[in-house]
Amino acid sequence: MAELKLPELGENITQGTVTKILVKSGDTVKKGQNILELETDKAVLEVPSSSDGTIGEILIKAGAVVKVGQPIFNLTGSSSTSTPETKTAPTKSEAPSETKTAEPAKPAVVAAASGGIFDMNLPALGENIEKGTVTKVLVKAGDTLKKGQNILEIETDKAVLEVPSASAGVIKEILIKAGAVIKVGQPIFKIEGCTAAPSAAPETPATAPAKKDAAAEAKMTSSVESATKVSVPVTNVTPGPMPVRKDIPAAPSVRLLARELGLDLAQIPGSGKGGRISIDDVKAYCKMLNTSPAAGGTGRPAAAQPLPNFTKWGSVRREAMNNVRKKTAEHLSYAWTSIPHVTQFDKVDITELEKLRKSISGTNKKISVTPFIIKVVAAALKKFPQFNASIDMSTQEIVYKDYVNIGVAVDTDRGLLVPVLKNVDKMSILQISDELTAMAERARMRKTTIEEMQGGCFTISNLGGIGGSSFTPIVNWPEVAILGVSRGSMEQVYSDGHFVPRLMLPLSLSYDHRMIDGADGARFIRWVCEAIQQPFLLDLNK
Amino acid sequence: MSSSIQLVVIGAGPGGYAAAFLAADLGLEVAIVEKELNPGGVCLYRGCIPSKALLHVAKIISEAKHAKAFGIEYNEPKIDVNKLRDWKKSVVSKLTGGLGQLAKARKIKYFQGEASFINSNTLKIKKADGSSEELSFQKAILATGSRPSVIPNLPKSPDIWDSTGALDMENIPANLLVVGGGYIGMELGTVYHELGSKVSVVEMTPGLLPGADRDLSDVLYKRVKGMLSKIMLETKVVKMETSKGGITVTFNDKDGNGFKEEYNKVLVSIGRRPNSENLGLENTKVKVTPRGFVEVNDQRQTADPNIYAIGDIAGDPMLAHKASHEGRVAVETIAGHKVAFEPQAIPAVVFTDPEIAWCGLTEIDAAKAGREVTVVKFPWAASGRALTLDRTEGLTKLIIDPKTQRVLGVGIVGVGAGEMIAEGVVAIEMGAVAADLKLSIHPHPTLSETIMEAAESFFGHSTHIYKPKK
Repeated sequence: MAELKLPELGENITQGTVTKILVKSGDTVKKGQNILELETDKAVLEVPSSSDGTIGEILIKAGAVVKVGQPIFNLTGSSSTSTPETKTAPTKSEAPSETKTAEPAKPAVVAAASGGIFDMNLPALGENIEKGTVTKVLVKAGDTLKKGQNILEIETDKAVLEVPSASAGVIKEILIKAGAVIKVGQPIFKIEGCTAAPSAAPETPATAPAKKDAAAEAKMTSSVESATKVSVPVTNVTPGPMPVRKDIPAAPSVRLLARELGLDLAQIPGSGKGGRISIDDVKAYCKMLNTSPAAGGTGRPAAAQPLPNFTKWGSVRREAMNNVRKKTAEHLSYAWTSIPHVTQFDKVDITELEKLRKSISGTNKKISVTPFIIKVVAAALKKFPQFNASIDMSTQEIVYKDYVNIGVAVDTDRGLLVPVLKNVDKMSILQISDELTAMAERARMRKTTIEEMQGGCFTISNLGGIGGSSFTPIVNWPEVAILGVSRGSMEQVYSDGHFVPRLMLPLSLSYDHRMIDGADGARFIRWVCEAIQQPFLLDLNK
Repeated sequence: MSSSIQLVVIGAGPGGYAAAFLAADLGLEVAIVEKELNPGGVCLYRGCIPSKALLHVAKIISEAKHAKAFGIEYNEPKIDVNKLRDWKKSVVSKLTGGLGQLAKARKIKYFQGEASFINSNTLKIKKADGSSEELSFQKAILATGSRPSVIPNLPKSPDIWDSTGALDMENIPANLLVVGGGYIGMELGTVYHELGSKVSVVEMTPGLLPGADRDLSDVLYKRVKGMLSKIMLETKVVKMETSKGGITVTFNDKDGNGFKEEYNKVLVSIGRRPNSENLGLENTKVKVTPRGFVEVNDQRQTADPNIYAIGDIAGDPMLAHKASHEGRVAVETIAGHKVAFEPQAIPAVVFTDPEIAWCGLTEIDAAKAGREVTVVKFPWAASGRALTLDRTEGLTKLIIDPKTQRVLGVGIVGVGAGEMIAEGVVAIEMGAVAADLKLSIHPHPTLSETIMEAAESFFGHSTHIYKPKK
């Protein structure tokens, strides 16, 4: 009997609501067969089984909120206990149970403990730390390693850590060098003649996770020293990354939590009397950092003000926000508070474009103006690379992107979704149109995957179908600009000595003023307008 | 190849044994090296515990005398010193024996002996049975504590005691001089006073309990001034000589006048110094300050990454509860937890009668730092409970930040102050503001109400004190 657990669903997604259970107790399932439909923040996912077997007990029900790592079924006759993988989940090597607590650098874990030559891998360095820059390699090839000896100095986002060796042996080859960025689990040394390779049991006995994956268990049993006893490694700390700050009003438990999370209490706004910092303040701050790893610290959402008692003025009704609404609220308030916005307005003459659009639209196939705008914007992003970029305030760098992915805001019954068209610069307008139609349809059917909503460089929001003369869209962070499209209308335009009726389409370009200067904003939108009016410009500018 | 133990703790006082026990509970393999047969250290063998046992006796004698005021009269007590000493010893052996069993139950390797470092990974242990052994370790915690400071060039005499000698209590001297009006001198002076000695105190500085808040120590001074035979402030001991009746002491007062007195016994209690010698620290990277303290960081790690230091040897204040807290920080750090020694308030208690206790910021600290604070005081004369005890000399004071209204410090003098101060520690550690103390209901009739009422008076009003409006 084994438990099937809810696998990782994607970055920063810790739970989902079960919308449908696709199997019942007694069913025989095959590996890969879908067993569950789950609604997460932005998408409905189908979760396939990772092993063959017969469903025993079903541990959840529709409507329940299930957390990643939580058991969902009992499975009999399965050959392995490994968790199923969703098709859409980004590959992550960490087992879900390991992400719960922040851990210090653990001794490097040896992949195979049977002697001979084996790889020593970089151990987990702490929560949410997947890689680090090697600042110093403290040993060289030919060195005889002692267990516990420091072998590497690594700089992560949070601190410089010393990584101790978990085994003794002779270094045959060093696979990394100072300055290199290495990932957790990546081989760092080739080692010969392992005589003592205890597994690094990361948790204390009391908090040891109930289940480990098969590989981890194999590692534990193959360890020489820990045959009968749970081995807790002693840790070599690098003191100093989080100095003690006196005089900060926070309870000892709160200080401990902040220290474990690697947060500086002095940076956390206290919501209590006298600036007292509560556990919730620390969690809220941590969440804010997590949703904005590259934040420059400009945006700190204001503490929620208490609402008045609305029932004084009439009856009201309260409804829980759905996941999309929650995520939208979080994401947009972050974007709004952290990005200094400027919106530039312009109008483009689409009289000719309309003629063309109508001529190629058939009865079955209607082509909207959006694919044309996407195509032009894709070219503009190449012409103006600062619009196809992100700001990394933590490193004081600008990230320029060589790919052109454009997100398109889609209105659904659950709220706003922004699926992303990938590599639009390599697509024809007709391909864009087809893909856009399919994507919008999937969004409305709740079939959009997390992956489809990631990786955008620029967003277009077309409200022209509904109406309105202009609006100020909010930049979709970590992008730096967004184009709003309103309803086109016939206007008198003065041309060649007299007024002529032209179909004018209002455009609004909001941009991140940290990245883009006003003149460049005006140039960009002007270029887009002219390219729509005179499409040959697209080729001329190549 | 490596049979090294994961953690060795050197010295099993309240810091060392707390560290060793926690380490064992966290799954580490632990050894203790300790001179005594059982854990306990100075605190249990020659400090806090035996002195508190004797202070309890002193209190009973004093209260029996005091009862006369209520119309209850007892005869003069008959004191059997041998029985008293045995009782005190039984308390100590019960406690230390219990700790020995707790160590055994945790499968801690216990070496009775003395340790010195050969290098940053190896100890030499001179065992009590005369043999010696080398022990290699991954991490070590130094918890060797402190010992009484001595005045140089004193004559060798059984009539000159340090705190250990006073606690051994071979007899009750008719005349006792206490050199040093700090907490040890005042506590033991009180004990001998109640047991029948004529006790005099000599102190170099202008007040008793140097370093303590004057508002608090003044209350103690007023009470003991009437009880003890003499309190000599701003007076130096120039010389001590053995004489027929015991020790003749030459003093020099603040005006430079010299005078002599003879005492049966002299208790020298001028402070304590860390035990950082003869440990082979020179064979490690550990750094020691000129005063003999081992330098440590927030994790109590010394300059040698394998060696940690906690308790008296790691710096002031030299208090058992600070040591055990540090021990837990060091062990959790070694076990990989992200912790730090970051107390906002370390309570200090003087177990005299009345007791004095304080924690957090004192008025003196605030003045030194030029920090603006609001001080509120509640005199126990306005406390019903103090009146029922006929002990109204007490005082409760709060040091409050006027801007944030946070409670920064608490000071209490009065009976039971040592028990009451814990509330102050929690308030400060939790970042409580004055309103928190005011709004928390305190039980009536207790002395703890004085904390609540002191907080009330921060807001300009207090139930049991009337202040005319200006």
